[in-house]
Formats: sequence, C-alpha cells, structure tokens
Amino acid sequence: MTAELNPLPRLAQVSFRITGQSAAAAAAALGLGALPGANRFERGDRLAVLWIGPDELLAVSSVRDAAGIEAALRGAIPPGEGVAVDVSANRVGFELTGAGAREVLTTCCAIDLHPRVFGPGSCVSTLVARAPAIIFQTDERPAYRLLVRPSFAPYVTQWLVDGLAGAGQR
Amino acid sequence: MLLIRCPWCGEREEREFHYGGDAAVKTPPVEADDRTWAHFLYWRHNPAGPFTERWVHNLGCRRWFIAVRDTTTHQISATWPFGANPEGSG
Amino acid sequence: MAIAPTGPGRPVALTSGSLSLASDGPVHPNEHAGHNPDFLWRNPEPRAAYDVVIVGGGLHGLSTAYHLAARHGITNVAVVERAWLGNGNAVRNTTVIRSNYLRDESAALYEHCLTLWETFAEALDYDILFSQRGILQLEHHRSEVRDGHRRIASNLLNGIDAEWLDLDDLARFCPILNLSPDVRYPVRGAALQRRGGIARHDAVVFALARAANRLGVDLIQNCEVTGFEKVGDRVTGVITTRGRIGAGRVGIVGAGRTPLLAAMAGFEVPIQSSPLQALVSEIVEPVLPCVIMSSAVHVYISQAHKGELVMGAGRDPYTSYAQRGSFHVLEDQMAAVLELFPIFSRIHLLRTWAGIVDVSPDASPIIGTTPIRELFVNCGWGTGGFKATPGAGWLLAHTIATGTPHALNAPFSLERFETGALIDEHGAAAVAH
Repeated sequence: MTAELNPLPRLAQVSFRITGQSAAAAAAALGLGALPGANRFERGDRLAVLWIGPDELLAVSSVRDAAGIEAALRGAIPPGEGVAVDVSANRVGFELTGAGAREVLTTCCAIDLHPRVFGPGSCVSTLVARAPAIIFQTDERPAYRLLVRPSFAPYVTQWLVDGLAGAGQR
Repeated sequence: MLLIRCPWCGEREEREFHYGGDAAVKTPPVEADDRTWAHFLYWRHNPAGPFTERWVHNLGCRRWFIAVRDTTTHQISATWPFGANPEGSG
Repeated sequence: MAIAPTGPGRPVALTSGSLSLASDGPVHPNEHAGHNPDFLWRNPEPRAAYDVVIVGGGLHGLSTAYHLAARHGITNVAVVERAWLGNGNAVRNTTVIRSNYLRDESAALYEHCLTLWETFAEALDYDILFSQRGILQLEHHRSEVRDGHRRIASNLLNGIDAEWLDLDDLARFCPILNLSPDVRYPVRGAALQRRGGIARHDAVVFALARAANRLGVDLIQNCEVTGFEKVGDRVTGVITTRGRIGAGRVGIVGAGRTPLLAAMAGFEVPIQSSPLQALVSEIVEPVLPCVIMSSAVHVYISQAHKGELVMGAGRDPYTSYAQRGSFHVLEDQMAAVLELFPIFSRIHLLRTWAGIVDVSPDASPIIGTTPIRELFVNCGWGTGGFKATPGAGWLLAHTIATGTPHALNAPFSLERFETGALIDEHGAAAVAH
C-alpha cells in the first residue's frame, strides 16, 4: 500500500454564486450538462466545478486561465442573478494518490472516506487536522485533491507527510 | 462530540459548526419600551428539553440553519434551512 | 471514607448506613470522635414550615444557610437539594480563588469573598485546605501585557494585591513554565495575585454542611422543588417531591437550574446554562507551585493538594443541562496545557467531567431581590462561583435577613439588565473563570 503526495501547479479558481434561474446558463458556459449537487463535483471544459454550498460553486482548472473562466460566467449570469470572482490566490492544491491514500487521509480527516459513501465525484469542505480544506476525489486509485489556504499549506502537508510516514510510505 | 446534520451537507462533526443560540429572538419595533428592548438584548430561552436554535456550518457550506436539540440529552431531532420550518416559522 | 479530592465524587448514600455522611437520628455520636466523623450532618424529614427555605444545596446555598444562622440568628432554615450535597458544581469546579477583577463593583465583591476565605477555616472549625499559593495570569500578546498592567493598576487602586512578573521573575516563581520565545504564543510576563489560590472543594462542602447543621439548619437532600406556592405576588412556600414546605422567605440558589426555578416562581433571569468541562491527571509529585491562567492558549491549571493536575478551559458553546461536553474541547484544553508545560506530555489523564454553569449577559452574578415578594435569588456566577462561596452566602443571607441588598451586592441586581448599569467582566475576568 503506497501513496504519494504532490503539490499541484498554480490553479485557476473562480468562485461563483447564482440564483436558480441562471444555473443552467452557467453550467453550459463551463461545458457542463448541469451544475453538481451537494457534496459533488462535475467535470466541464478543461475544468472542474466543485459544490461549495447551496448557491455557491468553485470552478478549478490547472490549464485554463481564471480571467477566461470569469468572463465566461459573467457572460452567462445576468446582472443581479449572481456573481463570479477570481479567487485563485485563495487556495493552493495538493494531490494525494495511491492505494494507501485513503489511509493517509483518514489520519487527519474525520470525513467517512469509505468507497460506499465517498468515491470519484465526491467533494467536501471540511477540516484536515485543524485547517479548513476542500477535498475531492478524482478517480478510484484513489486520487484525492486538496485545496487549502496558502498559509496553512505547510501545516497540512506536515500532517499528510506524517500520515505517509506512519504507513511506511513517502 | 456532537454529530450535526447540516441540511445541505449531511452529518458532520461538531468542530465544523458554530453555535448561534436561541432561534426565536425577534427584533422589537423601535418604539418599544426599555423593558422590551432589555429582553431582546439579554433574555434568551434556556429550556431543559427541546430547544430550537441556530447553528452555522462555518467550516463546510457556511450556511445558517435551524436545529431542534434536546438540552438534557444533546439529541438533535431535526434540522432545516432558515425559512423552511415544517411547522411554519423560523 | 475515601472521597475523590477533585471532580464529582461518588454518590454518597442518602439514607443511614455505614457509607452515609448523614444520620437519620438526632444523635450523631461520632461528631467529636476526630477530624473525619461518620456523620457531619443530620438527614432530617422536612418540617411543615421554616422561616427561610434555600432552594439548592450547592456551596452557595449551604453558605447562605450558614450565614443566616451564624450572622443573623435565623436558625429555622431548610436547604432543599434535589440530589445530594456535593453532587453538582460544588465538586465539579477547579477551586480557583482570586479577587483581581477589573470593575470597582466586582473588585469590592470578590475581595469581600477572599477576605472571608482567609478566616473561613477558623469560622467553620474545619480544615478546608485553603492555600494562598498565588495565581498567575499569563500575558502573551502586547495587548495582553497592556491589559495586565491596566488590571494591576485597577486592582491596586481598589486595595487588592497585584504585581507584575517579568520573565526572570516568572522563571523563579514557576520554574517548569515554558518561557521559550520559540513557541506560537511566547509568554511576555504575568500578573500575579499572591493572595489567590485554591481550597479543597469537598472539604468546603463538608465544613459548611456540618457548621450549618450544628446551628440547627435542616439539610434536606433528595428533595426537588417542583413549584412555588404564592399568595398574590408573595411567595409562601415551596412544593417539593417530599411535599409542601411553608416558608417565610425563599432564596433560589440554583446555579445552572436557576432559570427553571425562576420560571416556576413566575419571573425570568437572563441566564444561559452550558457545560464547562474540566479534568485531572494522575497523581504526581509537587511540581506546580501556583495557579496558572492563560487567555491566549486558553487554559487554567493548578495542582491539587493530593497531587493531581487540575485543568479547565472554556465552555462548550451550546445550551445544556446534561453535565457533559464534547471531547474536542478537552483535546484543545490539553493541547493548551502542553504549550505552557511540555514537561507534562507523558502524564496520564485520570478523569474528565462537566458541570452546568449559569452565565449572565455581563459575566457578573445576580444577587438580590426578585419581582416576587419574599423571594430572593443568587445566580449568574458562570464559571467562577467557587471563589465566591463565603461572600455570596454572606451577602444573600444579609439580603434575605434584612429584605434589602447590602451595598456590596446592590449593583448586582436583576434590574441592571433593564437599566443598563451592567458590570461587564467578560474580558476583564480573563479566561472563562
């Protein structure tokens, strides 16, 4: 059972909040059939859209630029029915992958990560140790992506590295 | 550690939440007398038994909601979003 | 008779028997047999009526009854307690005693209490292990340092002993305290009240109950008040699970349950009840020579006479009557202790518990009259009632005996939440205590 922890390159992150009427237009603008439901994320056009709250989502991309995503959303959301804001500086990303990844994450996260309830497509805002984090699972290896505040990143990686060491991994 | 069912995110640990207290506090009209204003400021329900209260899922979806929790057992019998009280208020 | 020195003790049998602290009969032959007689108080049946009935057999209730008898000669008094003496906050507190409060009204009140502590063992003729070992309020931020100096100045103006300890002083005063600059919240200094300290809380229960009993007070356990009898706006008695008891005057001293009792009597108190957790370690050699409080890392700690480290922290946030709290609060509390004392990292946790604290909107108590005639109340001590045991009882007894608040407790009226004359000790009282 091995696992790997790697930092992700700088991510474009655009937070958007919408009312019900503009949801379909926002989804279409990002290349999604529909916006994700609670505790889920959906893939779109070279990006992922994460469910953050009942009217709040986060578009994340490692290849597209934030200004383009922001412009696409602003074009789709009529004034007064929502907002889209570039928050790329708000969080940095990590990827935790491998057969042991779940075990490592459970050392510092209270969310039930068992495949029965948490699998590819799952996304939660929660705590990693004491730091707020967004965790989403991208495939079944498993692979998890974590988004945390830059100032908390050393703290979170220390916890994860400690979890890796505990399982005899790197 | 309480397990609290956020109406949007489902059951999460208490650490993700912040307590907001009595959900039945109503702002009085400006012309209300001192006694009414004092009660608005300082008096809160403090029952031994079911208590309708506010919580916010501040480390999750960051939304406020209502919970009914028994203050003698800590059992939470229901949670719902603001404005969605099955009994019509709150 | 082994009684746990800290934390909620084992339930003591309420009826006669070898384990009982109370006797059914009028004779208690072992009373003079030594320091720990079998019986410290009678276990009487309630009489039909008393001059004064005190609702609540906690430390403040017992102290009120004792002072009614000892200071005012009112001995036809009953204390009615829903469970047993020494079951609630009386034995769930962390026994910290100090008087270094900020506001003039509070300084006068708590200094009155501390002065009484200094002669309490003699007055009660019972060793309560009152130890003036000093209490340190650690200051970690620049703003805390300024606030500490401000509080010291305020204390000195009010005639209360207070002094500043810099890091060199601290290293001598409490050698095991971590004074390294290489921590998240380095200690910058501390305010010290040398006259502050601790006492053994269950000894105080025994001492007060014994003294009140000797003066003729009936201590009635297992007797829950379920209602109040009134004629017009005047209280005339209490309805209990052991029948009606008539009363000339009634004092409600119910701590966290005061709002429930007040509602039965027909008035309201602005009190929120919530759990406050504490814990003790296993017994260790004497290592901690004083009481330490820190707001920044949020904990207070002392070492009991027997050797346990006694720790407490902030309240659980939610309203509760359940006498238990959440584990993560204890975890945070222990993490805070290790910030200050890395040397404690391998000490085992022995026991945890919670008490229900009655917190008022300004973190100051309510002692005085109520909208009901002949009905008086003492509540709202929140997380810091133990230190007020002698004075709170002294003042409520005065108020009940004379029908009028003493100058010391007049500012602590129920009306202040309508007049706006609050005594805000939220920040000034330092860590929730």
